[in-house]
Amino acid sequence: MSAIVIKAENLSKVYLKGQISHGTLIRDFESWLARFRKKADPYQQIDKVRNTPGNDKIWVLKNINFEITKGEIIAITGDNGAGKSTLLKILSRVTLPTSGKITGKGRITSLLEIGAGFHPELTGRENIFLNGAMLGMPKSQIKDHFDEITRFANIKEHLETPVKRYSSGMYMRLAFSVAAHLESEIMIIDEIMAVGDSSFQQKCIDKIKQLSKENAKTILLVSHSAKNIKSLCCREIALVKGQIK
Amino acid sequence: MNKKEWTITPHYRLSDFDFKVIWHYRYLLCQLIHRDVVAFYKQTVLGPLWFFIQPLFSTTIYTLIFGTFAKVSTDGLPQPLFYLAGIITWNYFSECINKTSLVFRENVNIFGKVYFPRIIVPLGIVISVFIRFGIQFILFLTCLIIYNCIGHELSINWAIGLFPLLVLLMALQGLGMGMIIAALTVKYRDLIFLISFGLQLLMYTTTVIYPLSTAPLNLKWIIQINPMTAIIETFRYAFLGRGSFSWQALCYSTAITTIIISIGIIVFSKAEKTFIDTI
Repeated sequence: MSAIVIKAENLSKVYLKGQISHGTLIRDFESWLARFRKKADPYQQIDKVRNTPGNDKIWVLKNINFEITKGEIIAITGDNGAGKSTLLKILSRVTLPTSGKITGKGRITSLLEIGAGFHPELTGRENIFLNGAMLGMPKSQIKDHFDEITRFANIKEHLETPVKRYSSGMYMRLAFSVAAHLESEIMIIDEIMAVGDSSFQQKCIDKIKQLSKENAKTILLVSHSAKNIKSLCCREIALVKGQIK
Repeated sequence: MNKKEWTITPHYRLSDFDFKVIWHYRYLLCQLIHRDVVAFYKQTVLGPLWFFIQPLFSTTIYTLIFGTFAKVSTDGLPQPLFYLAGIITWNYFSECINKTSLVFRENVNIFGKVYFPRIIVPLGIVISVFIRFGIQFILFLTCLIIYNCIGHELSINWAIGLFPLLVLLMALQGLGMGMIIAALTVKYRDLIFLISFGLQLLMYTTTVIYPLSTAPLNLKWIIQINPMTAIIETFRYAFLGRGSFSWQALCYSTAITTIIISIGIIVFSKAEKTFIDTI
């Protein structure tokens, strides 16, 4: 049971403050040409004088190491800007780390934002299929779970309404429901549970527990609610300024 | 994909590119195509009729301006047929470039939040534009039959066997160039303004509004460099019986297409990994 599904080693992510690149094609080209001819970059020196090295970099994540075993529920906590979302983004492959490495096993479905990938003009039904497809599911699987998804999200009578007319609660319920019912081994959830009302929040928590227990699904979530974290009785990864506390 | 091990490292290696993932996401591809085709005429009164109106309008304008006023030769072909052939092929190519090059910019919201191989989106574009091309191609065939009925002899020949190749070449060229531009526009927004201008320039250096045979000898090479030239000329030759067809030109076009699409896939896959931090 204690198989490791995600392992991060020395994971770091650096963002640059201010402008990226020199701003114009000509300047970039000149820099590139200089590098190619092994001459000094005409623009580098100016930059060096202006910014002392290291000053223009932000280490959003710095040397993160952790291991997650199968079926665990992990809560990632920390203040704003601690690097929680960046970590989830790297895990979801939306962006690459600057250094370090993550190895893992199994498919990931991620829910980084409520209804990301929903098309506002399409109906609830069409969006279930579109969203499921984006998460990499074949049509047959979405069909199999279709009833479960609508039942859990409790939107049966709104299936043929374009999602742009949904309330944010309905939106959230549908998005969570799609991600929760599709077959994957790892699920990533970024603080989306704040939207639903308390009864739906409880429903989500129960669902997460059930997925972790019965399906041995590994779940990573970001939450600011101490209550939620407690009731999920999960392990915590606390981030402080990009490092694990 | 099931239970498969994966690694995320800071560097993108070319060997990571895997055609199998496209197959895995085939259902998403279908969904995107469906969305594109339907979205084209949603909230329009005339609906799918726009697929026909566009090329017919352009053909009328070209016939008037280039055919009647400027009296540009059409190799002895009926002007509307000559222009229509050029327009539908050119439109396919340029639409592919146009839409593909905006892929990153227009999908920032989705791409920032959900991961799937980004190349699915440009592929979807090329196929949905192809459906449009198919409809316009039927329009072209209808015109051909009408002309045949009013006495213009049909000269469809063996070269129509090359039609699938022509379509493939156009699609890959548009896709490749679009992906290169898309990758570059992540950093250099300037290119977006250049696209429409650049496409126009490309159109005048290929044989949409004039036949290759009328090009002045000393400038002919400029037109022949354009890999679209061979495609349009072969298309005209196949369906209308006139045009400068040569295997050499077609091979040249195929070679260039291969290069463009390879570079396109490489730069695009590189850009997709971190573009979200830059755009």
